[in-house]
Amino acid sequence: MNAAAPILALRKATKKYSGVPAIEDVDFELLPGEVHAIVGENGAGKSTLTKVMAGVVNLTSGEMLVDGRVVNAETPTAARELGIAMVFQETSLVPTMTVAQNLYLGQERFFNRLRGIYIAAQQFMQSLQFDVDPTAVVSRLGAAQKQMVEIARAVLHKAKVIIFDEPTASLTPEEKKYFFDLIANLKQRGVSVIFISHALEEALQVSDRITILRDGRHVVTDETRRFDRARVVQAMVGRDLSQTLYGQRKTRVRPQGRRVLSVQNLRMAAMVKNNSLSVFAGQITGVFGLVGSGRTETFKVVAGVAKRDFMHGGEVLLNGRPVRYFVPASAVRDGIVYVTEERKLEGFFETQSIAGNIYLGLLAKLRGKRKLVSKSEAASVGEHWIKRLNIRAISKDVKAIELSGGNQQKVVIAKSLVQEPELIIFDEPTRGVDVGAISEIHQLINRLADEGKAVVVISSYLPEVMSISDRILVQRMGKVVEEFSALDATEEKIMYAAIH
Amino acid sequence: MIEAVRQWTGRVLGRGDAAISVPVLDGALKSNRLIEDAEVVAELDAPEDLASDGASLFVADGTSVLRVDGAGALAVEQTFGTTVSALACLPRGGLAVALGGREVRVVGGPHDGRRFESAGGLRLHAVNALSASVGGDVLWATDGSQTNPPERWKHDVMELGRSGRVVELGLADGSARERAAGLAYAFGVGAVADDVAWVCESWRHRVVQVGGAQSGQVVLDGLPGYPSRLAPAAGGGWWLTCFTLRTQLVEFVLREPKFRKRMLKEIDPRYWIAPALTSGNTYLEPMQGAHLKTMGVVKPWAPPRSYGLVIRLDERGLIRYSLHSRFDGKNHGIVAAVERDGWLYLLSKGRGRLLRLSIAAAEASLAPS
Repeated sequence: MNAAAPILALRKATKKYSGVPAIEDVDFELLPGEVHAIVGENGAGKSTLTKVMAGVVNLTSGEMLVDGRVVNAETPTAARELGIAMVFQETSLVPTMTVAQNLYLGQERFFNRLRGIYIAAQQFMQSLQFDVDPTAVVSRLGAAQKQMVEIARAVLHKAKVIIFDEPTASLTPEEKKYFFDLIANLKQRGVSVIFISHALEEALQVSDRITILRDGRHVVTDETRRFDRARVVQAMVGRDLSQTLYGQRKTRVRPQGRRVLSVQNLRMAAMVKNNSLSVFAGQITGVFGLVGSGRTETFKVVAGVAKRDFMHGGEVLLNGRPVRYFVPASAVRDGIVYVTEERKLEGFFETQSIAGNIYLGLLAKLRGKRKLVSKSEAASVGEHWIKRLNIRAISKDVKAIELSGGNQQKVVIAKSLVQEPELIIFDEPTRGVDVGAISEIHQLINRLADEGKAVVVISSYLPEVMSISDRILVQRMGKVVEEFSALDATEEKIMYAAIH
Repeated sequence: MIEAVRQWTGRVLGRGDAAISVPVLDGALKSNRLIEDAEVVAELDAPEDLASDGASLFVADGTSVLRVDGAGALAVEQTFGTTVSALACLPRGGLAVALGGREVRVVGGPHDGRRFESAGGLRLHAVNALSASVGGDVLWATDGSQTNPPERWKHDVMELGRSGRVVELGLADGSARERAAGLAYAFGVGAVADDVAWVCESWRHRVVQVGGAQSGQVVLDGLPGYPSRLAPAAGGGWWLTCFTLRTQLVEFVLREPKFRKRMLKEIDPRYWIAPALTSGNTYLEPMQGAHLKTMGVVKPWAPPRSYGLVIRLDERGLIRYSLHSRFDGKNHGIVAAVERDGWLYLLSKGRGRLLRLSIAAAEASLAPS
């Protein structure tokens, strides 16, 4: 394989933002028909490196070669013409358009027949075994289905190189299998795939070679068979984190405290059907379920982000008191916070600074008690939480959009914790977050439970649910169908309950 | 006026009190079969209550108090002219018994012969639980209802009874005073200190504190069943029995006054849509909102007509774990639990059985390694 000429290469690639290097002197080679995984902690430069290839950002120094020729991919369009397409970590679909319209966006003819587009889209999605309705409006799709449309769009563009940034983060195990089959299919057709994932098992499973970056620099590139999990983690973080993540089985669980939340016979359209569950103080309640099982919707109702059925919608009791929130601010004032899975869309204001975002969280709690916005208070609150959550940024004034995924997630968490909640709902807290930050976020979640808070962790990643939860609720078809203690839960048992 | 409008909209939209939702059995209340698998010590005719002085176990069965030895053999200890509705062992020796719910009498010990027939100016009417204070001078009693005797508890729940009370009986001086009134069926009391007791309010599904600085405070609420008697657990905390579970159908009927009144008037109480201590005995029993068998097999998770539930509480009233006999079981209607020598003795009034199970074995089965 190594004898083949690289289809895509970077030489001494350096990209600096305001003089600060995101990647520095990175050499990278992609061979024809190979699946190449790029792994590294948040802020390691993976996204920047791939954005350079996709024409989203331009190199400060160094060069890019396609088929041995030095090229200048200054825009995504230019990169696409060179045969390079990228599927982004956060979806870049137009939410108000249908799936089919998104697929063919930019390829419209002068006269378009909508029905023709729908038929073509239907056939194409079926060829990929993606079960997505082409006439569905994208804003109504779940995260996994949006990801499928993103992938389909890249495949549709007949790219020679497809870059996937965290493609499986929101996919169910079954959907992941389809996705890996798709990768194998692309590989057979001679397409080269670059694959960024924080799930190291996936990188080890599907890739031919792995490149590891750390702090913007190239650490190692080698064939996958020469790696094991420990070596990858060691190279990524420069320390052995493998024991702090998912490898260990729980030997003890926290005892149940008082019942903080009781959801009784909750109904919400077709998504939540007569759902009942309890959440206790001083415990981490993990919630697992396949996409569409109604996990997120249940807890969005609890937090006032969504509304239950207008008639006979069931009850939500907080500390034994029935509550019904029409806006999240009311829930926040009662001590309920929801850390969203869609951090970029719902979690923070992109153009606000870290401190500004966190301060907004505080203002939501203190509605009416602050007549004037205090910049000095915002600064001190920001500094306190940057230090407490170890948010890695040049300063508190850095805009949230400029942070890596893990640090953005920490900002979202800080924005919620500043409200001093009693019940904290984490929805996919480590989605799109690197292993170093995962460890830190898990430690934070554990600390909250140790302090006596009631914590809910919704996750699609079974090892995460099993490693962090004290008790695990499994949802299927809109209701909790099974409960496990973390001590007797196994992946097989949980998955069986989630599917059957 | 505003409250009336709120109630009306609540009824139309199925909100508030009209939401008719019941708490789920999860967390430490997750169901198991430990009561169903418990050892049967004895079959009884009309069991009512249990008590232990540490050495012996006593069972109130009809008009008698029976002594149970280590091998499970029964011997009549005392016989009375009327039904024994509650029983307690006194720390300084002797037994306190409630007779027909209308009288509390002390048998044996330093206060032998002491009788109480009224408290707070009212006659005792439905005494259903007794608990002696640690010092032994005070006896707490729950007088379930002022309108219905103990055996008509089902009438009380369907009539939305709110006339229960807690009385404090002075064994040394013969005083009797009312400590709390207006309770939605007081059933079960545990003396926490000389002046403090926890009391079960069955129809409000909660345990409240009576006496002390935090009198009236709710210790535990939102229970999925109807709580009954409390008994101290070795190592601190309490055993709380729930004689059956709440169901959405019963909760619905409780909110439909016209239907309920007609049902009370016209239907045999055995076939009411109401909580029950036993079920599955006749096809005339009402459905509970879902079918009960699948392919001829009784669904253990079906909405229960009757159920067996015992809850282990810690000193703060937090639930540690629970023991169950599910809908497909028989050991239902657990009304009393007493711990002795590492065994938990349970009284299944629904089945007429005295049961026992090893606490260590039960705890081990609930905490897998």
